[in-house]
Amino acid sequence: MDKLGQEWVSAAVDGEIDEHTLAELAADADSHEQWRDYHMIGDAMRGELPKTMSLDLSASIMAAIEDEPAIVAPQPAAEVSQPVRKSSGKIIPLFKQFGQYAIAASVALVAVVGVQNYNQETLVESSPLPVLNTRPLIGSASPVSLQTGAVQQNQSYTNDQVADQRRRINAYIQDHMLQQRLNNGVNIDDNSEADTTPVAQ
Amino acid sequence: MRLILLAILAMSFPAMAREDMPAKAWLENMSQALREQEFKISLIQLQSDHIRPLVYIHGKVNDQEVAFLEHLNGPPKNAVRVGNTVTFIEHDQPAYSVHSSRIQGVIPAALADDVSKLEEGYQFVLGGRSRIAGRPGQLVRIIPTDTNRYGYQVWLDMDTYLPLRFDMISVDKQLLEQLLVVELLVLDEVPAILKEAYKQEWPAVMSQSDRDSGEDWQFSWLPAGFKVLIKDQHRLIGSKEAVEYIAISDGLANISVYVAKAGEAPLPEELVIRNGLSLATERVGNAEVVAVGKVPAETLSRIAKSIMLQ
Repeated sequence: MDKLGQEWVSAAVDGEIDEHTLAELAADADSHEQWRDYHMIGDAMRGELPKTMSLDLSASIMAAIEDEPAIVAPQPAAEVSQPVRKSSGKIIPLFKQFGQYAIAASVALVAVVGVQNYNQETLVESSPLPVLNTRPLIGSASPVSLQTGAVQQNQSYTNDQVADQRRRINAYIQDHMLQQRLNNGVNIDDNSEADTTPVAQ
Repeated sequence: MRLILLAILAMSFPAMAREDMPAKAWLENMSQALREQEFKISLIQLQSDHIRPLVYIHGKVNDQEVAFLEHLNGPPKNAVRVGNTVTFIEHDQPAYSVHSSRIQGVIPAALADDVSKLEEGYQFVLGGRSRIAGRPGQLVRIIPTDTNRYGYQVWLDMDTYLPLRFDMISVDKQLLEQLLVVELLVLDEVPAILKEAYKQEWPAVMSQSDRDSGEDWQFSWLPAGFKVLIKDQHRLIGSKEAVEYIAISDGLANISVYVAKAGEAPLPEELVIRNGLSLATERVGNAEVVAVGKVPAETLSRIAKSIMLQ
């Protein structure tokens, strides 16, 4: 590769040679590398380089071409694997569709329930009206409440009161038992559940 | 048969030396044994219609008392004591620790404490001997000096002084509660479970500093030997109702006195609950004084009546 040869290739890159020399250059394998380098230098100076580039394209293409026949045999296998991919890819959309149907169905359900509730509410609201209308005929509410109060005082205990009493006794006993644990140095009292069955009263 | 008689005779010889030992000395020995010996006892707690099997293991790790109490029936309910911290591990709430010198729930703490503290309210009388849990036992009666509290009986193992049976008896000599040891094992070395318990990290002791000091309640009458331990204000654990609280004790019997706003339905004036616990209520205006404890209901009633604000 002499200096003269380099200039010759450089002139070819710039398109300053005739077709005959160009054909000669194509036949000269040694100059191919320089031809490519000059083109790249030119591209770099004009700012036309791709962002990524393979620096030895010709070699990689040659390698790819040489590998080509070897791929012929595994091709069916590659085709087999493709459908698998396709089906797995399809599963997600399938579920998505179901989800969408389910959501749509539930929305419909809510809509139905909502309508039913709405209907019931209107029914309930409409029903007390006659009762309200009849009330003034019976009399005002205040004597009734007075009377019930008097009845409660006369009765010994209502169920609610007995339940309340029991609840409060339990609260005191539970607290007493807890305090035995908290009060340092104070003794006994079991961890037992409060059994408030009265023996004597 | 003769062999057994001979064995009993042989066993009674070392006990001869203890023949003249007073009841109080027996209790003092028991207190020391409970604090210092390494043992495992399986026992049952009888409370009218309740029977609870328990296991209690006690030992010393690095000079600190370590104890483990386990309820054998029902949902898990355990307590662990390391030094002066007792941790309760129960199924229905996260584990919590309190500052305490004994695990409450088995052997009354007073029996492992200085028994002379009990002398104001009780007399110690030596009783007979009987065989309990396959061991010779010595009975010591803890007799109340008045009818304001219940009496107790404790049977001690004659070899180790550890308690074998503990009864609570009403004023008319009825059995209210019983702890009965079914197996006592004196251990040669600290069991692995106590070593584990000693190493384990337990929850920090619950702070007692947030206890609001209560009003200055006084009692115009308290049975001899009873002292006020704690006064505070807190909310009842179950109902969240705010109460004024006073704890009084004579060492064996503990009474809680509550002052709270009266509820709609009046509480019964006197109530005896099956496990020996009683409850008495005194209504003062729109407030109620409630006393709870393992003493006769009449005592509670009198205490509730005698409370006053200084």
